Amino acid sequence: MKKQIVILFTTAVLAVSVAITMPMGMAQAGELRVGYTEDALTLDPANHRARTTQTIIRNMYDGLVTRDPNMKVVPQAAESWKAIDPTTYEVTLQNGITFHDGSPMTSEDVKYTFDRLTRDGAIGGQTSPRKSLVGPVKEVQIVDGRTVRFILSSPWPQFMAFLTLHEVVSKNFTEKVGADGMSKSVMGSGPYKLAKWRKGESVIMERFDGYYGGSQDLKPVGKACSETVIFKTIPENASRVAALLAGDVHIINDLPPHSVRQVENNANTRVMTVNGTRSTFMALNTQKKPFNDIRVRRAVAYAINRQLIVDKILGGKATLINGILGPDAFGKNKNLPAYEFDIAKSKVLLAEAGYPNGLDVTLDVTGKDKDIGQAIASLMTKAGIRTKVVVGESSQLTARFRTKGKPIDGQMYLTSWGNGSLDPVGIFVPTHRTNDRGNSSGYSNSTVDKLLDAANTETDQAKRAGLYSQAEAIVNKDLPKVYLWVAQDLYGVSNRLSGWQPSSDGRINLHDACVK
Amino acid sequence: MNFGKLIERLAQLIPVLLGVMVIVFFMMALTPGDPVDIMIGEQPISAEQEANLRHDMGLDLPPVERFIKFLGNAVTGNFGLSFFHRRPVIDVIAERLPATIELSLVSIILAILTSIPLGVLAAVKKNTIFDRVSTVGSLFGVSLPGFWFGILLLMLFAVHLRILPVSGRIGYAYEVDAVTHLLLIDSLIAGRLDTFANALSHLFLPALTLGLPMAAILMRVTRTSMLEVMSQDYIIFAEAKGISRTRILIRHALKNALIPTVTVAALETGSLLGGNMIVETVFGWPGLGRLVVESIFVHNYPLVQAAVLFYAVTYVFLNFFADILYTVLNPRVKL
Repeated sequence: MKKQIVILFTTAVLAVSVAITMPMGMAQAGELRVGYTEDALTLDPANHRARTTQTIIRNMYDGLVTRDPNMKVVPQAAESWKAIDPTTYEVTLQNGITFHDGSPMTSEDVKYTFDRLTRDGAIGGQTSPRKSLVGPVKEVQIVDGRTVRFILSSPWPQFMAFLTLHEVVSKNFTEKVGADGMSKSVMGSGPYKLAKWRKGESVIMERFDGYYGGSQDLKPVGKACSETVIFKTIPENASRVAALLAGDVHIINDLPPHSVRQVENNANTRVMTVNGTRSTFMALNTQKKPFNDIRVRRAVAYAINRQLIVDKILGGKATLINGILGPDAFGKNKNLPAYEFDIAKSKVLLAEAGYPNGLDVTLDVTGKDKDIGQAIASLMTKAGIRTKVVVGESSQLTARFRTKGKPIDGQMYLTSWGNGSLDPVGIFVPTHRTNDRGNSSGYSNSTVDKLLDAANTETDQAKRAGLYSQAEAIVNKDLPKVYLWVAQDLYGVSNRLSGWQPSSDGRINLHDACVK
Repeated sequence: MNFGKLIERLAQLIPVLLGVMVIVFFMMALTPGDPVDIMIGEQPISAEQEANLRHDMGLDLPPVERFIKFLGNAVTGNFGLSFFHRRPVIDVIAERLPATIELSLVSIILAILTSIPLGVLAAVKKNTIFDRVSTVGSLFGVSLPGFWFGILLLMLFAVHLRILPVSGRIGYAYEVDAVTHLLLIDSLIAGRLDTFANALSHLFLPALTLGLPMAAILMRVTRTSMLEVMSQDYIIFAEAKGISRTRILIRHALKNALIPTVTVAALETGSLLGGNMIVETVFGWPGLGRLVVESIFVHNYPLVQAAVLFYAVTYVFLNFFADILYTVLNPRVKL
């Protein structure tokens, strides 16, 4: 028995030693690896609702339009588009686009793609969860082989912005493989084709040499630089950073601020940043005492030294905001006054509101915002607003604060709202319109509601921007939320990487990315 | 052990599973948080479209009705569609299961192969340096939190020494035909030693992290029960008969001392399923544990229910297996 154990041990040790002496599979030239927080949920572009899934599959599927580095909507598979009237848009495809099997992309495919998104039960009996991202699109008409018309049931000025969220599928292929096949195979027109999906582990793609070149507005036009790209799922922050430092991956997303220095100090890696689209704010419950009093809300705003927190906790990598919209958003009011840090002013306002000796409040935060919550609480406490931080789970806090009209259970909630489309309709409306989905302060102002509603259907873009600007000036005064900052998105990248820029919408498009 | 007992055990499974289903279903249903809200995230949606989505996911019914429907389907093996993967839950779980099984098996084997000899040695060399060192070592083994120890190993072997991979199950260049879906076995079947070595190199750190606490506990249990057995009369008798020391240790002492070890090993294997969740996250291991944790956070009810049922069945069978092993090790014990 003892002998057998010894033999087993020796075998195990030998096997491990063999494994150790094998080359560790360091990335080959032309093979680009991304350490990404999540795996794709499915490969079907119409049957998910996750930005992370879209980020992965967008490298294999092109859309009609996309965004340039400044977040401007530009054509991708489309050659051009025009609005014929407020409810009709005409889009023409580029010449010579083919799917990965070499079959040409035609207006039939475009119509089929949008029918699949909008018709109930079109995905093997399931309805696309992306249906609401197509807005009031009623019908897609084929004009000729390369041209389609989108018919809307009502004017929707954000149409082009939302068109960036959809990818064109091949009608023939989709009909052939069905919903099940679409969930695990790919027939797109993007720069890469699917080589293998190891579920939960990695999506491996190979360059598509027949690529039409992509958006004519985004240089260089042509086939992709890297021969192989791999999205490797590494959910744990520390492990993702370790993978970058070990040279196992060339790009990692969601670099934690506390790892910035580690990545910068490493000779082979660097940090890349881009303005994010997620506004962080502290919602105050305006329905109840003490925050139903605007003086108390303003006292809170004056008590918080936002720049200090950005510098100390976020490594300086955030932009302060004085309204809900981020610096790059459409219709951003650039002239909003700031509530500059001023404890004396805060105390005066508190005394005026009937709290000369200060008051006790509770701030709800999720685990990931705990540090920031504690920093805010200590600053507020110094101003006399004695703040207790309570850490809760995200979906519970959502249920308590985002009540869609029912009474809010809580006082203050440190939270954020993302705005990938960069259009105020994606952030301003849900967080500030009366009883809307993300209105976590119970805020209701009929003038703001009217301005937001009017902007929603205004097709003159300059007028529309003006409406949002006015609404933002009102909420800056009313202060249902203490507007904090838009943090930059942080990426760790290898010094061997070139040609890639992070993008505000969080996508990782690898068409131009090369590894030396 | 007879066939009737097996049937009896299987029958006992029914109330256990029913209880688990009731608890899991209502715990999930009563936890605040709405899967539809989570799915939509921050993107705009109209009330009508939201209601349609809720209907599609079967969430427009009251919880009791949902439970009855779920139960009816579960009996026929239909656990519904995963809310977020939009595919049958069973398929999603089946894709992830082999990775978890492989990791767990290797961890258990690693733990047993190290803990039993060490436990026996520690008992034999009681109160020597070896005994003390291994006792302190096992204390560390039990106390080190997996997420911390895993990252420590990762930083050492993958980042600084660069001799083991950071994450994943196998290198991209390696491909092996799936027979058992366990890469180590499949690569041996295919006669591909390079693939086997690569899979093993990926498996090593996660298995070590997962197996260490189990090894530590098993070692201590083995040591204690060996000490107890060694003072029994039949051991003294065997010694008096002049049987060799090794033979006494292995044939007479160890066989009896293993009974508590087997019990603990079976229970620990159950908790290994929980440990998997952490280790799989740290090492990007594409297993079921990570999937279940992610699913709990996003309130993916169908997937969590099916996975917990699977865990419950596994746990019950592990205990059953331990009971059978008792009877083999100690004929005085009857099922």
